Amino acid sequence: MDKFIYLILSLRWQDIIDISLVSYILFRFYVLFRGTNAFRVLIGMTILWIFQQIAVSIGLIVTSWVVQGVVALGAFIIIVIFRNEIRTVLLARNLKFIFWGVSSKTFTSTIEIIVQSVLDLARRNCGALIVLPGKEDLEEVIQKGIPWKGEISKEMILSVFWPDNPVHDGAAVIQGDQIVQVGAILPLSRRDDLPTYFGTRHRAALGLSEAADVLVIAVSEERGDVVAAQDSQLKVIKQKRRLEQILLQHMGTAAKKSRESIKERLMVITAALFSIIFVTGVWFSVSKGVYTLATFEIPVVYMNRDPAMEIIRTSVNTVSLELEGSGALIKSIKPDQIQVKLDLSKSKVGPNSFTITRESISLPPGIILKGLTPPVVDVDLDVLIKKDLSVQIDWVGKLPDHFVLTDATIKPKTVEIIGGKRMLEKMSTIYTEKVPLNNLEANGTITVNLALNPASLKTASDSNEKVAITYATKLRDNGSNF
Amino acid sequence: MNQRNLHLLLFAVILCILFPFSVRSQSGDTGESKISAGKIVLARAVMCEDLLELVPQNPTTVFSIERRKAICFTSFDPVPEKTIIYHQWFHRDQTSAKIKLTLKPPRWSTYSSIQFRAEDIGPWRVEITDSQGHILDVLRFSITE
Repeated sequence: MDKFIYLILSLRWQDIIDISLVSYILFRFYVLFRGTNAFRVLIGMTILWIFQQIAVSIGLIVTSWVVQGVVALGAFIIIVIFRNEIRTVLLARNLKFIFWGVSSKTFTSTIEIIVQSVLDLARRNCGALIVLPGKEDLEEVIQKGIPWKGEISKEMILSVFWPDNPVHDGAAVIQGDQIVQVGAILPLSRRDDLPTYFGTRHRAALGLSEAADVLVIAVSEERGDVVAAQDSQLKVIKQKRRLEQILLQHMGTAAKKSRESIKERLMVITAALFSIIFVTGVWFSVSKGVYTLATFEIPVVYMNRDPAMEIIRTSVNTVSLELEGSGALIKSIKPDQIQVKLDLSKSKVGPNSFTITRESISLPPGIILKGLTPPVVDVDLDVLIKKDLSVQIDWVGKLPDHFVLTDATIKPKTVEIIGGKRMLEKMSTIYTEKVPLNNLEANGTITVNLALNPASLKTASDSNEKVAITYATKLRDNGSNF
Repeated sequence: MNQRNLHLLLFAVILCILFPFSVRSQSGDTGESKISAGKIVLARAVMCEDLLELVPQNPTTVFSIERRKAICFTSFDPVPEKTIIYHQWFHRDQTSAKIKLTLKPPRWSTYSSIQFRAEDIGPWRVEITDSQGHILDVLRFSITE
């Protein structure tokens, strides 16, 4: 428990943002792709990935390799095979929805289909008789029609009552979201108080409502009006909303729709919570998992040096940092993410000592500094001056024994060098880079570079780093001693 | 070459054997005047592999370490009065030896030499200075493999 509290307290604001952002991205993926095949495959891939992590953690090497391969292949499959589906999902929605909106499933309910169909039939003056049973069984009340068992749709209802359809004079019985019978014959009402303009359909509708707990919708073929028969009463329906209300009350689907809406909301909330919990778990396993201690050799960067001064010598060029963090974070560190910077703004000419503080070191988030070696860096600084130095050739190698290098002149004889005052005061000569004797001809001229050592030395802007050597050799006198 | 010069040469050879940095002197060498400093005039300064009857042999600026020694030969004309000069040998910019040499009237040739060691490979120079430390000439050479 204490460890858990410690983990929570050790969270930084960057970590909170980190978890929130990734959770939201995951949640958006769910919102955008739920119900698609790509989403189902993605869930399978996630399960495989978790399985692979478990395999790695318990040391199942080959299994983890195989699963890793399957996951990699799966990622490829998702992109290639479901590219059209992904594109459709993304193109079908605007930018605002992609980043913010939450779609609810479109429930084109049975009621809506019936309402639309009835209104369409009325507009076309197509007579129709739709039976919506209540709790009672209608088998004994209505004369059995033709079994249908077709999923309800507006087109289906229109086709059933189309005038040329042989069953269009009968009633269609709808149970749930299915048309279970068509061409059913209903009992006719014997009431004599009905208006004369009500025809056989209306009598049939009323007759059934008198005999059973049922709602019957009748559409007049002559006038195109809509009548609902229920509880031995006929109600003329003139408004779409009224028809919806009657259907809702009869079928009790208002509550059902509300339940579906709540269920839908719960699904979204569950998905959001799952995203947060999953990402938090992954985040903790990555950033706060098994801690690893690693040593990094990092170059020291010297900053804010007085331009008039030059670094002559440093005790170290790199410092060794002992860093602690989760294995994944330690592995992902790139050298340029760690910097050790020393501020030379307060340094003076001569030897200076700087203690490397935590503020001198920049580390990636989640990485802790456990130690550094050496903690102190000595930096020797000097004022820059210019000085003319004689140039001398640094010959190497060996001439053939019977040859003597009699003359070697260098041009220019001196060059102006810029460097630290204390260093240049001790110098009178600047040497060329090593010039091999082995390849020399009898005489000639060669061009060589100056060896600016230490590297802090520079030639003045008007001096060239190259010098020309003109040399001459001759045969050795035999009288020489050896 | 007279008898006196032969004795001086013999004495110098003995010194050279006893000390790696040794002093040789010889009067009577003449040559073109190069630098005038005070009363003495440096007539010739040269690095050579050997001396044969006080004549530099195989003047050069590169010495193979196999040759074991290098000689800095200097000749002064005139030498109005007895005086001293120095041959200061530098390996890179570090003084390796500072050899005091005596000059005698009316003219004088003298030399110093070093015996090579393995660590002597690299660029060298010899500064020839008078008794007041004025540089009369600088000879540059290298010891190679």
